[in-house]
Amino acid sequence: MRSETPASPGRPRAIESRRAITLILLGAFALSLLGIDWTDGVFKPRGVSAIGETLGAFVRPDLSPDLLGTAAAAAWQTAVYAVAGLTVALLIGIPLGVIASGTLARSRAGTVTQVGVARGTLAFFRAIHELVWALLFVAAIGLSPMAAVLALGIPYGGILGRIYSELLQDVPQAPLDALRRSGASEWRVFLFGRLPMALPDMVSYTFYRLECGIRSAAVLGWVGLGGLGFQVQIALADLAYSRVWTFLWVLVAMVVLVDLWSSQVRRRLAP
Amino acid sequence: MSSTPTSAYTTGRTPPRLTFLSGSVLVMVVLILTSWTYLIFGQSWPSHGFFSGETVSRASSFLGDLAGVGRETTPAYLEGEAWAEAGRLALSTLAMSVLAAGLAAVGALLTFMFAARNVMAGELAPYRSPFWTAWLGIVRLFYALSRSVPELIWAMLLVFIFAPGIIPGALALAIHNFGILGKLSAEVVEGLDTRPARALRTSGAGWFQVIAYAILPAALPRFITYLFYRWEVIIRTTIVVGLVAAGGLGMEFRIALSHFHYTTVTLLLIWYLLLVLGVDLVSAAMRRLAR
Repeated sequence: MRSETPASPGRPRAIESRRAITLILLGAFALSLLGIDWTDGVFKPRGVSAIGETLGAFVRPDLSPDLLGTAAAAAWQTAVYAVAGLTVALLIGIPLGVIASGTLARSRAGTVTQVGVARGTLAFFRAIHELVWALLFVAAIGLSPMAAVLALGIPYGGILGRIYSELLQDVPQAPLDALRRSGASEWRVFLFGRLPMALPDMVSYTFYRLECGIRSAAVLGWVGLGGLGFQVQIALADLAYSRVWTFLWVLVAMVVLVDLWSSQVRRRLAP
Repeated sequence: MSSTPTSAYTTGRTPPRLTFLSGSVLVMVVLILTSWTYLIFGQSWPSHGFFSGETVSRASSFLGDLAGVGRETTPAYLEGEAWAEAGRLALSTLAMSVLAAGLAAVGALLTFMFAARNVMAGELAPYRSPFWTAWLGIVRLFYALSRSVPELIWAMLLVFIFAPGIIPGALALAIHNFGILGKLSAEVVEGLDTRPARALRTSGAGWFQVIAYAILPAALPRFITYLFYRWEVIIRTTIVVGLVAAGGLGMEFRIALSHFHYTTVTLLLIWYLLLVLGVDLVSAAMRRLAR
């Protein structure tokens, strides 16, 4: 249809597809507004006063020493879950990522099956949110800290594996060809060519995931596994907003701290 | 220390870089070892240890329950009516995710210019005044705050304010993703080629015109791409905010789990996976269109 105007490639088509995207986005947003049930009003009966209480506690959190001690212990628990979960994620993500990159297989058919199976597994792991994994693990094996670690490690492993496989594929090909011509096996090409070239980006992405891991680990507390999310839940059950915000400020501080650390690491690893 | 490169890729870099990086990796290793030590030795375990036959038998009986093995009633995932019921919930989950992505996008679009250093305090700033720099700081603080608190916790706070339904869940998702989208888009603006903007400026365009005709058109394609990436994350998280916010699949999932209706859990998980898969496909197609 548009192929009749090859003289000015790109431009008209780009503008048309932009218009299409704008229309689709606006239409989808308008449709989603129809999904809201407006009949009972938007707010709860005393909801508006809850806004004031939440905002007041946001500026004046409870800073009593006892509570800060509890917050520190909860923060430690959250950090333990995040780091241990990331370890599991690495154990899943590195082997499956290498297989999914399809860089080690010898035969064509072998590559297709290996890549397909590995990619499918990774996609399944990351399709389910960590909290859903946590609920399933708690239902299956009971309230054990390992439920939290596995619940975090499995979806994060799925994400890490996908990103690792893409990074391993996207390295420049010329150095690899040079290695192959000098007689290196596929394993050696991988170990001394592909891996060293992809490693900085892999490390950098892993550090970024640590920051997300802290947030996710805090949420896992919600299913009863301890940590900051659990404390927030207890405080909310008492409607003690000032205590809620103590824990939330601790969480924000942790996330910002890890964010600063990981962005420093990433800046130094950037080419 | 600094003279021994840790691996091949760091050779040729300056010594200070090496120490920070190897130090970070070292800290990471220490953190991993401490946390596992704490997990294995530092806590009193519940009734049984994790690495035991008990865990295996519990897990396998749970999987059997999910499949509906040994029950006389028909599993929920084989009943057409249950499928239709869960389908309606899936539809409202989808609406929640679109609403959340839309609200986050509107919020980020209105603010991300003010979070870009080059526009507010750098070479494109109209005046170098502390007022503009302070504004930059405030917007960035709000981004950091909104994205540091996870969606579920926003939802836990919002259910005290809003009536149950898809609104509290969508708002919780929107607040969290507003911070992420805003930060990412501001970084896009900071990385833009500023020559077109400066050319406009020298030909007499005002600040607003420079933003509207040089910066925004260049930043929008990346913004759209990020929006669709976030949508993929949002659809995975709608079930989670639904656990507390009473909208979509999440609430039903929680009820089915606590009532031990495990075959319903399976059915809801199937719908959830279908939604995730569908959104991934649509998002990939839209991102290709936006490029």
